[in-house]
Amino acid sequence: MSYLARRLGHAILVLLGVSILTFALLKLAPGDYFAGMRLNPQISPQTVTALRHAYGLNRSLPVTYLRWLRSALRGDLGYSFAYNTPVWPLLRSRASNTLILSLLAMAGAWLVAIPLGVWAAAHRGASLDRATSAGTTLLLALPDVLIALGLLAFALRTGWFPTGGMASVAAQAMGPAARVRDFVLHLILPAAALAAGVLPILVRHVRSAMLDVLDSPYLLAARGHGIPRARLLFRHALPAAANPLISLFGVSLGTLLSGSLLIEVVMSWPGLGPLLLEAILERDAYVVVAAVLLSAVFLVAGNFVADVLLYAADPRIRAE
Amino acid sequence: MQKKLKFALLGLVLIHLAVLGARFFAPYDPAEQHRDFAFAPPMLLHWVDAQGHLHLRPFVYALVYHSESSAAGPYEDDRSRALPLRFFVESTTTHGNSQSAASGEPQRTNHLRLFGVDSPGEIFLFGTDDYGRDQLSRLLYGGQVSLFAGLFAAVLSLGLGILLGSVSGFYGSWPDAVIMRGAEIFMALPWIYLLFAVRAFLPLHVGAQESFFLLVGVIGLTGWARPSRLVRGVVLSAKHREYVLAARSFGASNFYLLRRHILPETYGVVLTQAALLIPQYVLAEVTFSFLGLGVSEPAPSWGNMLAELQKLYVLESYWWMFAAGLVLVPVFLLYHMVADAVQQAQL
Amino acid sequence: MNDQAQTQAESREPLLRVVNLQKRYSRGRGWRRSRLLIEPLRGIDLQVHAGASLALIGASGSGKSTLARCLAGIERPDCGEVWISGRQSGYSENAHASGPIYMIFQDCGLSTNPRFTAAEIVSEPLLISNWGTTRERLHRAIGLMTTLGLQADAANRRAGEFSGGQRRRLALARALVLEPRILILDEALAGLDLSTQAQMANLLLEIQRARALTYLWISHDLTLVARLASDIAVMDQGRIVESAPVREWFAGPRSPQGQSLLQAAGAWRSRPAS
Repeated sequence: MSYLARRLGHAILVLLGVSILTFALLKLAPGDYFAGMRLNPQISPQTVTALRHAYGLNRSLPVTYLRWLRSALRGDLGYSFAYNTPVWPLLRSRASNTLILSLLAMAGAWLVAIPLGVWAAAHRGASLDRATSAGTTLLLALPDVLIALGLLAFALRTGWFPTGGMASVAAQAMGPAARVRDFVLHLILPAAALAAGVLPILVRHVRSAMLDVLDSPYLLAARGHGIPRARLLFRHALPAAANPLISLFGVSLGTLLSGSLLIEVVMSWPGLGPLLLEAILERDAYVVVAAVLLSAVFLVAGNFVADVLLYAADPRIRAE
Repeated sequence: MQKKLKFALLGLVLIHLAVLGARFFAPYDPAEQHRDFAFAPPMLLHWVDAQGHLHLRPFVYALVYHSESSAAGPYEDDRSRALPLRFFVESTTTHGNSQSAASGEPQRTNHLRLFGVDSPGEIFLFGTDDYGRDQLSRLLYGGQVSLFAGLFAAVLSLGLGILLGSVSGFYGSWPDAVIMRGAEIFMALPWIYLLFAVRAFLPLHVGAQESFFLLVGVIGLTGWARPSRLVRGVVLSAKHREYVLAARSFGASNFYLLRRHILPETYGVVLTQAALLIPQYVLAEVTFSFLGLGVSEPAPSWGNMLAELQKLYVLESYWWMFAAGLVLVPVFLLYHMVADAVQQAQL
Repeated sequence: MNDQAQTQAESREPLLRVVNLQKRYSRGRGWRRSRLLIEPLRGIDLQVHAGASLALIGASGSGKSTLARCLAGIERPDCGEVWISGRQSGYSENAHASGPIYMIFQDCGLSTNPRFTAAEIVSEPLLISNWGTTRERLHRAIGLMTTLGLQADAANRRAGEFSGGQRRRLALARALVLEPRILILDEALAGLDLSTQAQMANLLLEIQRARALTYLWISHDLTLVARLASDIAVMDQGRIVESAPVREWFAGPRSPQGQSLLQAAGAWRSRPAS
C-alpha cells in the first residue's frame, strides 16, 4: 500500500510541476490574445488594458499561477478567449474523444502485438520471424503523417470509409444501430493509423521480452517436463515476461498520445489535437494550458495504472 | 555489422550532400513558378522513342495541356517533341515571382546545374505542385530545412543532456535532485504536446530563417530529459569504477576524471541516442511545418510540402505530392540501421 | 647541525601517524537518511615507522578498506588527523594533498581503464600532477615498466590485453611512478595463481629494499602476512584492537578477534592434512 501511495503522491507532484512549467512558458512568451487587439484602431487601449486586467493577464507569474491553481482545483480551468466560454466544457468532450480513439488504438495494437511477438519469439530465426522483423522495421520508418494521409487517400479512392470527422452529417436522423455503425466506420481509420504507429515498438518489445524468458533455465526445465508448446508459451512464458511489458504500457501511452494529436488533425477527429492547434494559432492561452495539462494527466495516469498493474503482478514489489 | 553501419552511414552522407548541393542538383529554383504546369505529373525518362529508336541520351516528352476533364489528367505527353536531357547546364534563375514584379526588374543569376532540358521545355521528374513549382527541386531545398533542423536540434539536446546528465550523475546531491525532478516533469508530457506547449507561446509568423532556428531551439531544448537520464546512469556507474578512484588518489581533478575517464564511457549511449533522436527531430520539424507552426511558404520544407495534402482534392488526385513524406522513409531506415549497429557494437 | 637534529627528530617521529580517524556513511534517501548509519571507522590510531611493513587484518567489514581509502585520499574522513613525517596532511578537493601515499587496488583488472594503453596507465599520475612533457612522461613510464619486468613493446597495448599478473605489475608501476614513500596494497596478491603470487611477492620485497618504501598490507591471507609483514594490526568494527610485531603476534594474539582469525586460518590449513 505504501508503494502505491508513494507512486500516487509522486504523480501528483509531477503534475504540479508540469502545470508550473506550462505557466512559466505562458508568462515568458511575448504577446497574448489581446496583443492583436492593440493593432485594431476600433478598440481603445483602455479597453485592452481593462480586458487584460479582467482576465488576470497583467499580474505576475506566481499570482496568476496560484489563482489559476485555486480555481482549477474547483474544476474551473479558466476562460477561452476565442470561444468565449469556460475552458472545461469545451475540453471535456474533446478529451473524451481523444481517449476513445487512443484506448481503442491501444487495445488494437496490443491485441495484434502479443500474438505476433510471441509467435516471432517462438519461431526465432525462421522466415516468419524475419518477415515480422522486416515488417516492424519498415513500419517504424513510416512517419505517422504518412500513414494517416495514406489511409485517408485510400478512403477517398475507395469510398469505403468516411474521410474524417466523427459522424456523418446525416447521423442525427439515423436510427441507433445505423448511428453506431456510422461511428465505428469513422473510428476505424484514425484508430488504425494510430495503432500502426505503436505496433512495431510493441511487437519488438514483446518478442525480446519473450526471448529473455524462453532462454531462462526454468523454462527449459518446463519444456523438459513435456508441457505442450502453446501452454508453455502463453501460460508459463508470457506471464513471466509481463513485467517489462507492463512498464512498456506506460511508455507506449506517451507515443500514442503524441501520435493522436497529429492524426486527429489530419483526419479531423474532434479530439484534443485540433483544439490545441486552434488554440495555439488563436493564442488562446488557457485552452493551451488546459489541453497540455490534460495530456500530462492522461500520461501520468497511464503510468500510475502501469504501476498498479506491476504491483498486482509482481510479488517482489509487494514485498518491498 | 560493421558493413551495415558503413552502408547506412554512406547512404546518410550521400543524402545530406545531395541536399546541401541543392543549388547544383536541383533543376530549378525552389520558388520558380510554371503557371502553365500546375500539378503536372512526374515525367518519365525515356530511352526508346515513338519510332522505336534507341537513344543513348535519355529524354522526356514535352508536356502539353490537354483538357481538364480527361481521365488521365489534364496533361499529356507530346510524342513529337522529345527533350533530351542536358548535363551541366548553365541556367538562369529568376528570383522570386516574376509576375509580381513589384520591385521592377526581377533579379537574375547564372549558375551551373547538374541537368536540365533545352528551353523552351521543362523537366519535372517528380511533378509539380499547384503553383507549377518543380517538386524535385523543392524536395532538395526542403531537405536543407528538415534534415538539418533535426540534426542541429539533436546536437543541442544531446549537448544539454550530456552536460546536465554528467553534472547530475557526478556531483549527486541537490543538483542531481533538481535536474532529475526537472527531467521527470519534461517526460510527464507526451512529447508532441510538450513541443506544442513550448511552441504555443512563441511568435507564430516569422521568416523562414528565424523559424528554422526557432524550431531547432524548441525541439532541441525540450529533448534533453531522456538523454540526460541515460548519461546520468552511465556516469553514476562509471564514477565508482576503481580506475576512477585510482586516478582520484593520484590527485586528479573532477574535470580530469570527467574528461578522461567518465565521459568516454558515455559515447556509446550518446551515439545511439543521436541515431534515434535525429530522425525523431526531423519528424518534429515536418510535423510543425505540416501544421503551419513551422517554416512557412514559399520557403520549402518537407513538412509544408506535405501540408498540400490536407486539401482533399490534392490528396485524391495528385499522388506525387506524397514525395515529401516518402523521402522520410529511407532517411529513417538508414538512421535506424545506424542506431541498431551502434547498439550492437556496445554489447 | 640543524639537519642532523631534524633527521633525528624524524627518526623518532613515525613516518605515518593517524590520530582518531573517523568515517561514517548514511544510507537511505531524503528525510530517511538518518535511518541507517554505517560507521566503518570509529576512531583509528595508528603509527607506522619508515621501512616497516604493516599488515592490517580483520574480518570483512571491519573497516580495513575504508581506512586504506581515507589514507590514499580517495575518501575524506569525517574527523581525525593524518601526519606524514611530522607534517599534517590536509584533505582538499585535490586529493593529492593527502601526501605521498598511493594504493594498489584489490582487482587490478578493474583499476585500470580498459580504454587506456599500458603507457597511458603508468604515466597517468605524472599527467595528473603535470610532471614533465609528454615525451618525458612516456620515457619514465617505459623505464619503470621494464624495471618491473614488463616488455617495452607492451607500452602500446590496451589494458584488456594483459594477463592478471601483468596487470598487477602495471598497477604497481603506476603507483610507483610518482615515487611514493608509503604504498597501500589492498589484497594486491589475491586471485593470482601460486607461482605468479610468489613472483609478485618477491618483486614487492625487492622494490621495498631498493626504494626504501613503507608498505601497508591489507590481506586475508595470513600465510602471506607471515612472510611479508613486519608488524600486524587487527581491526574489528572500525577500531584497531591489537597491534604487535609479526612474530610476537603469531606466537599468541592477545585480542579475541586476533585469536579467532588465527584459529580460522589454522583450521583451514589443517583440513587437507586431516
